[in-house]
Amino acid sequence: MSKAFFNGIYALAALLVLALLAFKVFQPIQVLPRMRLAPAYNFTDQDNQPLTSETQRGRFTLYSFTYTHCPPPCYNSNETIREIQSRLDEVELNGIAVSFVTISIDPERDTPDVLKTYGESFGADFAQWKFATTTNRELLKTVVGAGFETYYEDKGGGNFALDPGFVLVDGWGVIRSEYRYVTEVSDADRILRHLGVLAEEAHNSTGSAKLAYEAAHLFLCYAP
Amino acid sequence: MKIKVFISVFAVVLGLAAGFYFLRPHTFHGTVIQSPEPSLDFNLASADGQVSPSDFRGKVVVLYFGYTFCPDICPATLANVGQALRNLGSKADEVQVIMVSVDPERDTPEKLAEYVAQFHPSMIGVTGAKEQLDEAASLYGIFYEKTEGSEATSYLIDHTATLLVLDREGYLKLVFPFGVTSDEIADDLKYILRQ
Repeated sequence: MSKAFFNGIYALAALLVLALLAFKVFQPIQVLPRMRLAPAYNFTDQDNQPLTSETQRGRFTLYSFTYTHCPPPCYNSNETIREIQSRLDEVELNGIAVSFVTISIDPERDTPDVLKTYGESFGADFAQWKFATTTNRELLKTVVGAGFETYYEDKGGGNFALDPGFVLVDGWGVIRSEYRYVTEVSDADRILRHLGVLAEEAHNSTGSAKLAYEAAHLFLCYAP
Repeated sequence: MKIKVFISVFAVVLGLAAGFYFLRPHTFHGTVIQSPEPSLDFNLASADGQVSPSDFRGKVVVLYFGYTFCPDICPATLANVGQALRNLGSKADEVQVIMVSVDPERDTPEKLAEYVAQFHPSMIGVTGAKEQLDEAASLYGIFYEKTEGSEATSYLIDHTATLLVLDREGYLKLVFPFGVTSDEIADDLKYILRQ
């Protein structure tokens, strides 16, 4: 083997390392992690219609958690959702639909009628924003507690402990981001930006570009 | 001198091509999951006793939720999985396929054992109480519900038809959509087995 050949190999190794470093540092493509599968469920919405995890397939869904008897000042997640909903046209979604699902952790009092009145009280658009729960308490705990990893506890007397937040799920039913309301500022800007990142990946990650997106996942090029 | 330059340039180009080929990320045919936690370790009944995914640590586990009265999707998917195992040859010994029946009323563990053996002798069929199945199905992203069937079938069960792959440590690694071919399953399993 000639010296020139080995020089070539060294040059190649250096080029590869530089290319990988550049990819990691400059992050030409940003993605959201594919954290885990969202839980499957079969709930009832504010119109007494079934709302299932399957109906959300193919669209991005932002989940939030609440109970209508939450004493004021309650978590302001509804305001955040309203802001996101009103600003969705700022995001290039490439035709992918976005839904909002607010799950009540108090199925005893939050019947479909109560949920409907609750949504109407702040002008929720039910075509895009559903309020749902299930009287199957075990399943509710599995879905909210274990699946969405959102802590809540029935303290008795109509009181609940709840660690509220948002969970963003993609069209494949994979959790892509979580926003813990009490531990970090989960502003609408960030969630809107993340919707754009998801839509861009869903639209562009085909053919040879899929390799670049897989590399972005591999090198943890996550959108802040 | 010119020859040396030519050899150097040739080596770099060849090396770049080889480097790209060997270092390129594997293109999976399913959705890759990067879960930081091991997936749910259920405990359900098979014809040979209780079975949990953790019984097979060190092997890659493929999970499929379905039922034996399933008219089309389940047999088609399991046939593809069985073929994928045959494509893997001796490597198939490092893969354990578990079918979870979401129809415990009709699918006894014995009946399940007979059913899955049609697709591959190493497959295991499990089921359990509705509460156990609700939890397992939900946390693996599997929606299921009873629907009306014909007179012959009495009822059917609509269910999510994905295939789930757990790596050797029990982490959910991959979700195949319905319609994935046996070659595609085998291709991804080979890659995961090499890791």
